[in-house]
Amino acid sequence: MCDITKEAVFDAISTVIDPEVGFNLVEMGLIYDAIIDDDCNVHVVMTLSTQGCPLHQMITQWVKEAVERIEGVGEVEVEVVWEPAWNISMADENVKKTLGGL
Amino acid sequence: MKAVSSDFAPPLKLIAPFFKYGVIFYLFSMIALLFFSPEFSYAQMDIAGWVHLFLLGFVMMVIFGAMAQLIPVVLEVGHAVVDVYYIILPLLGVGVSAMVYGFWMMPSLLPYGGLLVLVGMIVFAAESLATLKKSTLRTLTVKTVAWSNGYLLLGILTGFAIALGLAGELSVDVEMMLKAHVYAVLGGYVILTIIGFSLILIPMFSLAHGFEEDYINRAFKWVISGVAIVFFGALFGIGAMMWLGYLTTLIGVILYMIQIYIIAKLTVRKEWDIWAKSMVFAFGTLAAAIVLGCVGFLTGKESFIHAAVWFLIVGFISSMITGHLYKIVPFLVWFERFAPLVGKEKVPMLHEMYPKEAASMMFWFTATGVVLGGFGLMGESDILFKAGASFLLAGAGFLYSSMNKMLSYGK
Repeated sequence: MCDITKEAVFDAISTVIDPEVGFNLVEMGLIYDAIIDDDCNVHVVMTLSTQGCPLHQMITQWVKEAVERIEGVGEVEVEVVWEPAWNISMADENVKKTLGGL
Repeated sequence: MKAVSSDFAPPLKLIAPFFKYGVIFYLFSMIALLFFSPEFSYAQMDIAGWVHLFLLGFVMMVIFGAMAQLIPVVLEVGHAVVDVYYIILPLLGVGVSAMVYGFWMMPSLLPYGGLLVLVGMIVFAAESLATLKKSTLRTLTVKTVAWSNGYLLLGILTGFAIALGLAGELSVDVEMMLKAHVYAVLGGYVILTIIGFSLILIPMFSLAHGFEEDYINRAFKWVISGVAIVFFGALFGIGAMMWLGYLTTLIGVILYMIQIYIIAKLTVRKEWDIWAKSMVFAFGTLAAAIVLGCVGFLTGKESFIHAAVWFLIVGFISSMITGHLYKIVPFLVWFERFAPLVGKEKVPMLHEMYPKEAASMMFWFTATGVVLGGFGLMGESDILFKAGASFLLAGAGFLYSSMNKMLSYGK
């Protein structure tokens, strides 16, 4: 049985910041799910704020590296999905306020 | 999974000189404006010299640099032969300089300058089309890359025919050929490229989502048809066909503006930064250009047509380019110098990497200069036009200073 929690994975990913908007990926609402199996392998399901993002590969790599820093973690996979498409309602209140979306 | 471009991204040392020299050409073209009068004819060689200095030296130079970075992003494949950009830069830079000197001082230089630009552009268009061939995507932006490069080749060929005609080497109707040339390059390449890349860049920077793309799809069809109609109308000397083409293009541009309005309404990011200000000003000047152009054509007032062209190129095209430079250049510098440090040490945010005061000064001086210059052209007032040119020159100085600071950030 693995003792790594979904919260721990989200905490690790929250160290990854989008350099364009200045918020971390978790508060932006870009991380949809983290599936952890019994062997502590982690499958992160995420999206990006735009499909043409030139940082696509780098951001997914940063997410992978952030999760790999969790002690005892096994294999880490990051899957980028476009459905459901990201929108501002998925972001935290402070992100909405700062961006002016409220 | 959609695999985008960091593996395909060209190095900063390849792209940065396009932006640096593009801004230097912009500075020179603003200095040159001080020596012009608001009353002129398109047939004047010195006007042709200024137009090439601005459109080739600044507009095309920066667009080529931006394409080196953006084409892999939109096509999702690496460049066919990215190193050709090292050749394109000197060909374009030296070619434009020779052409401008030719227009102003020594007409016999024109074919040589034109030949260098021709080769540089053929290399650019061929590389873009070869890269396009590798991609399986057929999005609107991909289609605009294909069509715009096709029109660029037509524009280059007609331009070279004009250069040979002016040098007495070829018998052509220079006036009609000039119309075909201007329309193929300005409408076919520059405007189509702006339309295609707006659909990627504006929603990306404004975080606008969930909009339909009907208007921009229709805009694309109307503009490519309009440019083709004007091009062949000019080539075969059919005036009515050219008018039909102007109208078709106008409808396309209006549809494009409606699409931008729809995107703007869905904008999440309300920051009033240099990019947002530049976009608002750019579309304001595009609207002014449309209104003045229509009034000019309907009333026959040539000064209104001059003002319309001014608002189109010095207002709209220029602001679209400079506004995006404050986004693209920090990104490229960040990608090269700071991306490898992510997770290891604190890295700057992109908005911290451009000088905000210099950018703001650039914007206000330039916007004031564009408006004053436009009124100067409309009223054929030398004082107003020179005042506008002076403001534009000050704005160009701030742009040059901003560019140097952005490129040297973290060096």
